[in-house]
Amino acid sequence: MRRGLWDRETVALLLIAAVLPMAAAWLWWGGAGAAGRLVWALAVSGAWHLVFMLARAQPPSFAGALAGFAVAVLSPEAGPLQLALGITFGMVLGELVFGGWGRNFLHPAAATAMFLGFGYPTAAWPALVLPVAWAAIPAVLIGVAFGVMPWRTAAGAVLAGAVAVTFGPPGLAPFAAAGAVVLALIVLDPVAGAATSVGRWLHGASYAGFLALFATGWVGVAPVQAAVTAAFLAALAAPLLDEIAIQAWLMQRRRRHG
Amino acid sequence: MLTTPDTIAEGGRTDNDADGPGFGQGGRDAMRWPGGAGLVIEAGTVPDPALSPVEVIADEAALLPEPGQTLRLEPLVEAGAEVAQGAPLARLRQAPQIALTAPMPGRVAALDLAPGRILSQIVLFHEPEAGRHEHVVAANAEGLRAALQGAGVWRLIRRRPFGGMPPPDERPVAIAVMAVDSRPGAPDPLLAISEAGEAFARGLTVLGSLTDGPVLVVLPVGAGIAGMPDLGGRLRRVIAAEGHPHGLAGMQVHTHHPASTTAPVWDIHAEDVAGIGSFVETGLVPAARLVAVGGDGLRAARLVRTQPGAHLGALSRHLLSPGAHRVFSGSFLEGREQAFLGPRDRQVTVLARPPTPAAPRRPHWFLTALGGASRPRPLIPTAALDRSLGGSLPAVPLLRAISAGDAEGAARLGALSLLPEDLALADYVAAAAPPFSAMFTSLLARMAEEAGPA
Repeated sequence: MRRGLWDRETVALLLIAAVLPMAAAWLWWGGAGAAGRLVWALAVSGAWHLVFMLARAQPPSFAGALAGFAVAVLSPEAGPLQLALGITFGMVLGELVFGGWGRNFLHPAAATAMFLGFGYPTAAWPALVLPVAWAAIPAVLIGVAFGVMPWRTAAGAVLAGAVAVTFGPPGLAPFAAAGAVVLALIVLDPVAGAATSVGRWLHGASYAGFLALFATGWVGVAPVQAAVTAAFLAALAAPLLDEIAIQAWLMQRRRRHG
Repeated sequence: MLTTPDTIAEGGRTDNDADGPGFGQGGRDAMRWPGGAGLVIEAGTVPDPALSPVEVIADEAALLPEPGQTLRLEPLVEAGAEVAQGAPLARLRQAPQIALTAPMPGRVAALDLAPGRILSQIVLFHEPEAGRHEHVVAANAEGLRAALQGAGVWRLIRRRPFGGMPPPDERPVAIAVMAVDSRPGAPDPLLAISEAGEAFARGLTVLGSLTDGPVLVVLPVGAGIAGMPDLGGRLRRVIAAEGHPHGLAGMQVHTHHPASTTAPVWDIHAEDVAGIGSFVETGLVPAARLVAVGGDGLRAARLVRTQPGAHLGALSRHLLSPGAHRVFSGSFLEGREQAFLGPRDRQVTVLARPPTPAAPRRPHWFLTALGGASRPRPLIPTAALDRSLGGSLPAVPLLRAISAGDAEGAARLGALSLLPEDLALADYVAAAAPPFSAMFTSLLARMAEEAGPA
């Protein structure tokens, strides 16, 4: 009959449209090195999508390109071979073995960055220039306006972050830029996050909370490293937060309806 | 009958105890449901509400099962017999006191039963001289129930969980009367009962005698119905927020009085309540219903009053724009392409049929593999998907449970108050394949089987 708009690829394309300002800023300040990393990440990610299409009849998704961009921006600066290995781990075990984007529970870029961070501890974490962080603001606004990024998660993270910066110990401000970029690229992925209203608030707040914790308690941590780790832990906690939200909702309904 | 918003709070009490703060009183600018946002769906060509409905009696009408419903019958007439409007055509094998009756005076053209004497359709040709059958309605409660069942009016009631008509001796914990319909292009139930006078109030009294619980009258924002009985304080007015799906019975039952296997809730359309009211008074089965004929395949849309089960061609034929068409019973969200109006449908949707390519070439296998996702397609949580279930239940966990076939999880999240038609908007929004409503149909069938006979 008729069908609506919000299928998987529409959402993926809108998410790509939302992060375009960040991509432009990142490429402008990153130069040829950044462009090379992006092309390499997209090639490896695309190759794995192709393999899973041929072997498992799993159609590729534009979300793979989004994850490739996030990997290029956020993962430690290891060599190209190590990067390919990390993307292989993150893409395949983080997303493709579960059936592709929409069935995963981890963000493949977060898995990739964590893998590279643990596997190659000497590789430096990237230092993000400030314009990329500024560009994260329109990215989140576009995503939230189209409804492809959960606004409650964004609001929870921003609120908790603001509270931490205002009332927390000093020294948190330098982490805000990395926190904003990771928020736009990883935490606000609609699939690998909380799915209930209350759960989303908690998910965003827990991301900011983890970030504040690492920023104050983790000696020698790079801002991107702290933010990616915080996003990873918050995503792992998201199903638990959803369950808490559903239990609270059920209790409320039992009280109201018996 | 229709009144200004000021009368909302008269009689009964207005039920505002759902999520969040209540509404401002009345007015077109009444506050929207906080956190319960719905969607506004473009309906295409819809009837102009200023035009009064046209009387159309189709030459053919049919008695059909509801989608997914299995009705084992014992026919009471044979093909070729002349029947009066409202005369019994068949009765249920499992519950012989429940009859199915003729929607119009006519001659039985075909009595199509599938193996196991399962109803597929009973088609009638219109013959006005066959008259109307008058039923005897006893005054006491048992007599009333028996009369409703014997006259086929029982079919107008639908139960939750699992849908279908209620078993003959069931007493629901609540009844929801839908005086609002938010489906795109649906006729306004308040218009349908605007001339019903006291029949609607009498119908509410009858419903009040069928349950010990509340009778919820679900009204659109800013409207009220005067003269409703109080039913000893059991009549509750509920205001449905604007937008789809808030005007579906499933969302209202879920929000205000959830159903469970041990506590069934009935729902009924306001026009059918008026029909019950007039049936109790006269003994005549309601013969007409307000139907909206709309859709992009029409030159003009219109409202008609026609018999239940009317042939869709008779309602739409002279309004068609040139070209090939698809005619649906129901709205374009949940409608089915069929020849006759479904037993619960009040809408006919005509869409232009897209031209079929002359020689469908098989695309290269690589292109097919790029496009065709494994089924069921992955579910991407978006704001649109959250809104498609009205925001009053956790949409994504529920849809995930349904597409995974998790009966227990779905029941926990409120699936027992819902029917497949309540998920039609989510199907549309997410372009789900297979549709959530189809997966929910089979899940509900399994849950009903596990719950045992109702």
